[in-house]
Amino acid sequence: MAGIFSIFRRIYLTIYNWTVFIGWLQVFYLSVKTLKESGHEHVYAAVEKPLLWAQSAAVLEILHGLIGLVRSPVSATLPQISSRLYVLWGILWSFPEIRTHFLVSSLVISWSITEIIRYSFFGLKEAFGSAPSWLLWLRYSTFLIMYPTGISSEVGLIYNALPFMKESSKYSIRMPNKWNFSFDYYYLALGILGVYVPGTPHLYGYMLGQRKKALAKAKSE
Amino acid sequence: MKVVVTTRSGRELVKGGLELSDSATVADLQEAIHKRTKKYCPSRQRLTLPLPPGSKEKPTVLHYKKSLKEYTDGNVDTLTVVFKDLGPQVKYSTLFFWEYLGPLILFPIFYYYPVYRFFGYEGKRVIYPVQTYALYYWCFHYFKRIMETFFVHRFSHATSPLSNVFRNCAYYWSFGAFVAYYVNHPLYTPVNDLQMKIGFGFGLLCQIANFYCHILLRNLRGPDSGGGYQIPRGFLFNIVTCANYTTEIYQWLGFNIATQTVAGYIFMVVAASIMTNWALAKHRRLKKLFDGKEGRPRYPRRWVILPPFL
Repeated sequence: MAGIFSIFRRIYLTIYNWTVFIGWLQVFYLSVKTLKESGHEHVYAAVEKPLLWAQSAAVLEILHGLIGLVRSPVSATLPQISSRLYVLWGILWSFPEIRTHFLVSSLVISWSITEIIRYSFFGLKEAFGSAPSWLLWLRYSTFLIMYPTGISSEVGLIYNALPFMKESSKYSIRMPNKWNFSFDYYYLALGILGVYVPGTPHLYGYMLGQRKKALAKAKSE
Repeated sequence: MKVVVTTRSGRELVKGGLELSDSATVADLQEAIHKRTKKYCPSRQRLTLPLPPGSKEKPTVLHYKKSLKEYTDGNVDTLTVVFKDLGPQVKYSTLFFWEYLGPLILFPIFYYYPVYRFFGYEGKRVIYPVQTYALYYWCFHYFKRIMETFFVHRFSHATSPLSNVFRNCAYYWSFGAFVAYYVNHPLYTPVNDLQMKIGFGFGLLCQIANFYCHILLRNLRGPDSGGGYQIPRGFLFNIVTCANYTTEIYQWLGFNIATQTVAGYIFMVVAASIMTNWALAKHRRLKKLFDGKEGRPRYPRRWVILPPFL
């Protein structure tokens, strides 16, 4: 019984990883192409569809962790995916005024390079049992640059969207109302910016530790 | 007998061990360790019997009331115990007092003081009767909790780590401010009179029932509390294991029906989930202890915390 499930699991994960890989490959290709041909103002429009699909698909990864299909702990994947979805849907998609900012380019390029490496790594592992050591090296080294560039882009975009949040009161609930509740999307964004302050060194430090472990392990094999 | 005290890494905590009388209790041992180590008062010491390395079993924790002889193999006149430092500890009553003090003080602050000016709300504030009753209800609730802490509850010998004071106070004080902010808000919208009366009336009944539950629980434990467990009986305990939590949750429901704030409902749901975790553990523990074997009574079929759901 367990054997059949294991095969299905491998097939499913192989298909999943390679499909999302192709999505991110499109994002990378289109963003660089548009940047060169038309300028940073047009990058979002060019990559919107594959970007929304590829990044939103990552929600499945939380499910995979919950049902035990993959080993990654939900405690690690949930904050990572939540922040991506927040920036994508909560900032870029919700506030069109921000889409022409140059930080959008650095954002999608940082994200797509990281994801292309990550999904191909897992795609190969699930399909063939292992991934080449150069890919492993890439997976645990590109973050050294991509995290700073990606995180700066995220913080910059959230910060630049603040005036638009305040002015539009989008997603906010004001009082008086019958449920005596209020919610201010603007202050939530400020709070999230605050979380980036301790969150970034913590995450970067965690990845450095993972890098040490993974590369040491690869060396000894 | 001689007692050797080691740390979990194998180092001898008390050089040369301790000499105790054969009839000494674990409490005596803890006192002796405290005398020699100054820093580790008895409530900080967790003493266990050593396990063979690699053993997956849970170590036996020495209970402060038991005699040391019970943990030796009978003929042995040396006992080895493993020591773990639990960190600075506080009494449960101390912990509870500080937790409850926050909400007790914060709610009146939001009611009486012009705090909303700092949130940008100028001008006069209209105060509805329901907001005044909410103040009385809320403050009575936390005053009752503090009184019960000092006069009703019989705590087991256990203490709580000092870090829990900060963690628990953060929880109670934050939620206290969160609910108080909305109930006393200048733009607060009251419910109709009947709903308010039903809410507070029901809540008050539940608080009285909750108090009675606490009295019943207190009487389960003799004045010399040993932390021994008994099957709770009487009143609502006949149908639900943690009737005290049940009544507590329902009294918050009453408060929320009367005051109708999302913040109040969120607080109730979070509190209920925390209590549910405790209730499940207690229910499981009681069922395991009272398994009906060897002359022990069998734990009766009961709801855990919230009939008819759990």
